[in-house]
Amino acid sequence: MNAVDGSDHYNKTSDEPPPSLLTIILDTNAHAWALLAPTLPLSAAIANLLVFINAHLAFNNSNKVAIIASHTQRAEFLYPIPSEDDSRQANGSTHNGAQNGLDGDMNMTDGNEANYAATADDANHYRPFRHIQTTLLSAMSKLYKTTSPESLTPTTSIAGALTLALTYINKQSIAFSTTTSSKTNADPLLAPSDPNSIQPATLNPRILILSVSGDLAHQYIPIMNTIFACQRLTIPIDICKIAGDSVFLQQASDATHGTYIALTHPRGLLQYLMLGFLPDQSSRKYLVPPTAVGVDFRAACFCHRKVVDVGFVCSICLSIFCSPPEGAVCLTCGTYLQLGEYGGKPAVVAKRKKKRKKGADE
Amino acid sequence: MSASSLRSFEYLEGLPGTTFNRLYKQPSTALAIFRRMLPHLAKSFVMALLYISHPMPVTDLEAWVRPDGRRERDNAVNLLERLHILAAATNPGKPRAYALTNPFAASLRLALTGGGNHHSFGVPYSTSEEDTMSIADLDEFARRQWEGVLGYMVGSTGMNVASEGVTLSQGVKILLASGRLVEARGKTVDITKDGFAFILQEVNAQVWTMLILYLQNAESLNMDEVDVLAFLFMLGSLELGLPYSKANLTQTQANMLEDLGDFGIVYQASPDSSYFYPTRLATTLTSDAGGLRSSSFASPADNNRGFIVIETNYRVYAYTSSNLQIAILQLFARLITRYPNMVAGKVTRESIRRAVSMGITSDQIISYLTTHAHPQMAKNQPVLPPTVVDQIRLWQLEGDRMKATVGFLFKDFNSQAEFQAPCRYAEEIGVLVWKHEGQRKFFVTRHEQVAAYLRNKSGKGG
Repeated sequence: MNAVDGSDHYNKTSDEPPPSLLTIILDTNAHAWALLAPTLPLSAAIANLLVFINAHLAFNNSNKVAIIASHTQRAEFLYPIPSEDDSRQANGSTHNGAQNGLDGDMNMTDGNEANYAATADDANHYRPFRHIQTTLLSAMSKLYKTTSPESLTPTTSIAGALTLALTYINKQSIAFSTTTSSKTNADPLLAPSDPNSIQPATLNPRILILSVSGDLAHQYIPIMNTIFACQRLTIPIDICKIAGDSVFLQQASDATHGTYIALTHPRGLLQYLMLGFLPDQSSRKYLVPPTAVGVDFRAACFCHRKVVDVGFVCSICLSIFCSPPEGAVCLTCGTYLQLGEYGGKPAVVAKRKKKRKKGADE
Repeated sequence: MSASSLRSFEYLEGLPGTTFNRLYKQPSTALAIFRRMLPHLAKSFVMALLYISHPMPVTDLEAWVRPDGRRERDNAVNLLERLHILAAATNPGKPRAYALTNPFAASLRLALTGGGNHHSFGVPYSTSEEDTMSIADLDEFARRQWEGVLGYMVGSTGMNVASEGVTLSQGVKILLASGRLVEARGKTVDITKDGFAFILQEVNAQVWTMLILYLQNAESLNMDEVDVLAFLFMLGSLELGLPYSKANLTQTQANMLEDLGDFGIVYQASPDSSYFYPTRLATTLTSDAGGLRSSSFASPADNNRGFIVIETNYRVYAYTSSNLQIAILQLFARLITRYPNMVAGKVTRESIRRAVSMGITSDQIISYLTTHAHPQMAKNQPVLPPTVVDQIRLWQLEGDRMKATVGFLFKDFNSQAEFQAPCRYAEEIGVLVWKHEGQRKFFVTRHEQVAAYLRNKSGKGG
C-alpha cells in the first residue's frame, strides 16, 4: 500500500520472458567430420542437434530457430530455407511475401506457415518439430550433393555464416517488434548497447556455433567485425567446440558474454547442449555459466594472417603486422610510419639506481 | 505467470499422483505442461536432467544456480515436485539426488524425438471436399461463439447486448451457473462478482477458466478427468486451419467436441462429420502471453486489437462498434456520446465506485485498459497515464481498507532460535506475510516448503 507513490508500479513488467531466437551455425567441413567419425559421426551429431532444437522450441511457443551451414567455401541457410519458386511463395508464407516482395528480399518459409502434405504419421510427432527435421535433413543432403571434391578445403567460412546470422537476426527482430508494436524503436541498431537495458518486448537473439575445424586466421578481420557487431547488439555468441582449436572463437564468446565449452567427450554432445547452451539470456541470469579456461587473446596479423604473440601496430589505424611492412607504409591506411631505430639495441638506462639516488638527495 | 496459468495450476496441483501418472503418458500433455505451466528456470532444470543417465546430486544443482537466484531455484524445484515431475531420491550411501519421474521424462523425450504410436498430436484428416474452412472463417466462428457467451453474461446487466443470433446451448448455461459466474433468477440471469472478474480477463485466461469449470463438472457428467485433460492439451498442439480426424478419439472426447463447439473452441460442420477444425482459441491454449499477443483474437470492427484511448483528464475514447465491448466499458466508465465507430466517455469516481461495489477490482480495470490500449497509446511508456492509474487505485482504496490473505499460521515455537530459523527461511523463499517476534508466530502463504524445512531440521536433530 505504501507503493502507491512509487513509479515502478506503472511499468507492469510481465514475468513471461521474451521469446528467443536461436541461430545455430553448424560447421559442415567434411574433412573435420571425417576425422571425428569414430567418436561422433555427423549423423549422430545432427540427431543430437535436432533434439536440442526441439527442446529450444518447446521452451516457448514463440521461440524461433535458424540453422546456417558454414561450409568449406560458402555459408548457406539450412533452416528456414529460402523459398525456391513462386508457387511456394504464394501458399507458403503469404504475409512474408507481401511484406518483402517489394524490396526484392528473399522469402523464408518458417515452420508455422509452411504447407506440406499431412500424413498419418504426423500424429506421433509435434508438427513444428517434424517440419524442422524434414527441412534440415533434406537441406543437409542437398548441401553435400552440391559439394565437389575440389571445393573441399580444411577451413570453413565462419565469417560468412556469422554475417548471414546477423542479417537474419536483424530481419526477425524488426518483424517481431512491428508485430508486437509495443515499442517504437523498431530498428535494433538504434537500441542502446547497454546490456542492462534489455527491453521486455524484444526478441532475445543468440548465436550458437558448433565448430569442428581449427585455424580461421585467414578470416580474422571479418570474424572480428562480426564479433564487434554482436557485442554492440548484445547478441551472445556461444561456442561449442567439438574438435580443433581456434583462437578467435574464444574471443568471440568472451567479448559477447557467451558460453565457451570445448568438448572433452564429443560423444556426449547432447548433454553438453542441454546443460550448457539451452538456457537463454533470461535463465542465464540465475545460472552459473560453465567456466571458461583462460581466453586466448592473441590476434592475427593483417599481412600474413598469422597468429602473433608480439607484433607491430599501426599508430593510426591500429592494424597489426607480424613484421614491419615494406617501406614502412601501413598496408591498411597507407600512412608512412616512422619506425625509429628499429632493430638497434635499446639503450640500457640504469633506472633503479637513478631513483634511489633521487630519494637519497631529497 | 499470467492469471490463467495460475488458475490451471491450482487445479492441477490438487490432482492425486496417480492422475498425474496417467496424464503424463501422453507426450502432448507432457509437452504442454512443460511449455505452459513451468517457470523459465524450471524448464532449464528439466531439460538439463532429461538426458542424464544418473540422478543429479542436490548439491550439483545448487552449485549450478547463482547465489542470488536461490529463491527462483527453490520455487522452481518446489513446483516441479508439486507437479510430480521431479523427485529427490535418497539412496543409501549416496547423496540426495534429483531425477525426473518416469512417465513424464519418457513422454517428453518422445515428444522431442517423435516416434511411438500414441497419436497424441492429432491425426490429420485429408479433406477432398471443397468446403474447407479458411483461417478467417474459423476466427469469425470462434469470435461469434465466444462473444455469444460473454454477451449472454453481460446482457443480463440490462445493457441490451444483441447476441448476433448465437443461441447458447443449455449445457453452457448450466456450466456458467455452476461456476457461479451467473446466477439464475427465475427467467433472467444476473452476473456475479466472479462473472465481472471473468469478463475483464484476456481471452486466453477466460478460455482456461471456462475449461477448468468444465473439468470440474466432468465428473458429474461421467467423464474421465484424464481423458478430458489429455484432449485439451492435444488441442493446444494442433495446427490452425487443418482438419483433424475424429477416428482416434475416445467416446468422452467425441462428446466433448460438441460442447467445445458451443464455446467456439473447435469447429465441426455437423455433429456427425468425421473431422473437426481447432480454432485459434484451441491452438493458443498452450501458448504463453508472447505467442498470444502476436496472434491475438481480433474483434470485428478493429483488426488491430487495441481500441481504447484514455487521457490524463480521465476521458475515454473507444474505437469500437461492438455492443459487447461497449457494455464492458460501461461497467466502469460513464459513456457520454456514441458515434458510428467510436464511443466517448469519462472515468469518474462514481463509475469506479460502482464497479468496485459490483466486485470489480481496480487492478482488473487497469489491466483491461492496458491490454486493450489503442496502438497509438501502447507506444507510451508507461501505457496508461500514471495519474489515472493512481486515481483508479485510490478510488478503490477509499472503501477497501483491509486485505485478506489466505495462508497458514505457524506458532508454539519452544525457543527463539527455533522460531527464527524457519521464519528466516520463509522470508527467503518469499512466502512470509507477517511475523511477531514476541509471540513467536508467523504467517505464510504456502506451507509445504516451510513444513519440509522443519521436517528436515527435526530429522537431522533426531
